[in-house]
Amino acid sequence: MTDHRLLATAQQLGSRAMAWLHASHDQGFGRLSDDITIDLADPNNAYKPLGECALAASLVLRDGVTGPHDARIARELLDFGWTQLREGNLLYERQLRHLVMTDPLETYVHFARAGYRHPAMDELLESLGRLRAVRAAEILPSRRLAVANARRVVGLRNQPDDWAALAAGTWLGATPEPWAVDWMTGYDITHTVFHLTDWGARPEDLPEPMRDYVRAWLDIWLEVGQWDLAGELLVVDSCIGEPVTGLQGWEALAAVQREDGLIPRDNSEPVAEDPAQAFQDHEHTAVVAVVAGTVTLSRALGGAAVAA
Amino acid sequence: MPTADTSLRDEYAAAVERLAGRTLDALRGAGGAVVLAGPGTAAAPRPLLAAVRVLGPDLFAPQLLGGARPDEQTALLLAEARHAFPSPIVAATAATSATSATATDTLAAPGAPSPPVDEDGPAGAALIAAWRDWATGVLLTRTLPSVTTPGFPGPDPAAPRPEHVPELQPPAWQGWSVRMAQLSALALPGLDGPVHEAARANTLALARGTVRSMLRRDHRVAARLARWLCWTQAQGLPLPLEVEPVLERIQVVGDGSARTALELAIGEALLATDGNGARP
Repeated sequence: MTDHRLLATAQQLGSRAMAWLHASHDQGFGRLSDDITIDLADPNNAYKPLGECALAASLVLRDGVTGPHDARIARELLDFGWTQLREGNLLYERQLRHLVMTDPLETYVHFARAGYRHPAMDELLESLGRLRAVRAAEILPSRRLAVANARRVVGLRNQPDDWAALAAGTWLGATPEPWAVDWMTGYDITHTVFHLTDWGARPEDLPEPMRDYVRAWLDIWLEVGQWDLAGELLVVDSCIGEPVTGLQGWEALAAVQREDGLIPRDNSEPVAEDPAQAFQDHEHTAVVAVVAGTVTLSRALGGAAVAA
Repeated sequence: MPTADTSLRDEYAAAVERLAGRTLDALRGAGGAVVLAGPGTAAAPRPLLAAVRVLGPDLFAPQLLGGARPDEQTALLLAEARHAFPSPIVAATAATSATSATATDTLAAPGAPSPPVDEDGPAGAALIAAWRDWATGVLLTRTLPSVTTPGFPGPDPAAPRPEHVPELQPPAWQGWSVRMAQLSALALPGLDGPVHEAARANTLALARGTVRSMLRRDHRVAARLARWLCWTQAQGLPLPLEVEPVLERIQVVGDGSARTALELAIGEALLATDGNGARP
């Protein structure tokens, strides 16, 4: 049984972070510029925040462990993002033009998970998936897992992915010297777990040696002091079964969360006074907190209803 | 007078480094006794005695790991050092604190101000000191059975042990592993007892402590815990962490001190034994 104080902390942390994201959108942050085109020079800046918000909100709805107020907020976050993406048209056009790019699919999946579909996009993805050119695209192993999970969640029918081979190709799959972990490999680890387990919906899908490895070293890595990575590690802990790291990591995160729900990315510099800058800097940490809250609660309450 | 204290501390720290270097030389020279002083020295100078007190059981490492008997000269000097520095503060200050990556070893001579109290409290420090004294005593009395050494236990290593061992509560492996690092001098062939039992029973906690210290760049603590891992591996136990790459890594990025190098060298030598000093 997960400690009830842990669950209360997780619930409050996630709920407040989502309220901050929602309020930020109300203030106009996170909008795409009106003249945006499919040739987005840098999707990371242009619409990654929209995709991340959609991820968090879609998991809140998928897991269904939140109250009606938070469920409504989650729905509004998704509506906002979908509208910004012109009901998926921007993603579709970008994917149509740039056939080996993966970010349109990786963004679309979060909306598709929550029932927002773009039929032409579905058809396009199905057809692209048959191309060797698309399958052979050179991307990082953990990112390859992200694409595979997106294909699984969107429900593409062509050629299933070889999950064991994909898992073995990652940094975590090698169960490397645990003292060699750094900021980058830390994210490689967390994302490998997220995608293999579909964000906690398939806890048993993380291969056993990788699970043992993560559990042996997780609470050491939690001492990193980078709050978004710490939050991701807490998600990891909940994605693979009964959490092992205890209350401390949660309380540390809760202690740095502001009254309005913002969680600073790290302790290295103060939060910017300009709210637009603060949103840009700390949006990712808030997303992580929402995901951490919902996945942890849903796992403790018996597991997520796996999205079809 | 802080200036005088600082210089005394520096002088003793330098003596510890020199002696650790000599012990390292002896270890690499296949098991000879440690050359304790230059030729022609009559009485052992105080800094040397202090250094002998700090290194304690490790002075016998070259012999024990080389399959030789501890030599009498080293044993006598250890006994003398125990007389010169009877207070257990020596052992307490031979440890690196749990939180500081740059903790320096300090040594107080009689009459000098006491060093800062260990974070874990005087009782914890005294326990560490008592166990180190136990180990020294076991090796001393084995070497010099005829000599009665006041303050050290008798020849039977099982009899006068300290009453407690550092306890491991499951969520508190961090503090426990730091105390085990302070007790790394017990990880030698020919010593066994409750502390060793705890090491055998908690290899994951030792490995976690090692990894944590590596990531905190507290390389001396990491080296001391890696030494315990080498010891448990030599005992035939499976380890949750490959220890050889840890030793190599600390050699490259460590503090470069003879003391850390000695910990690593003892660890390496332990891997080549069966944990009891025999080479399989």
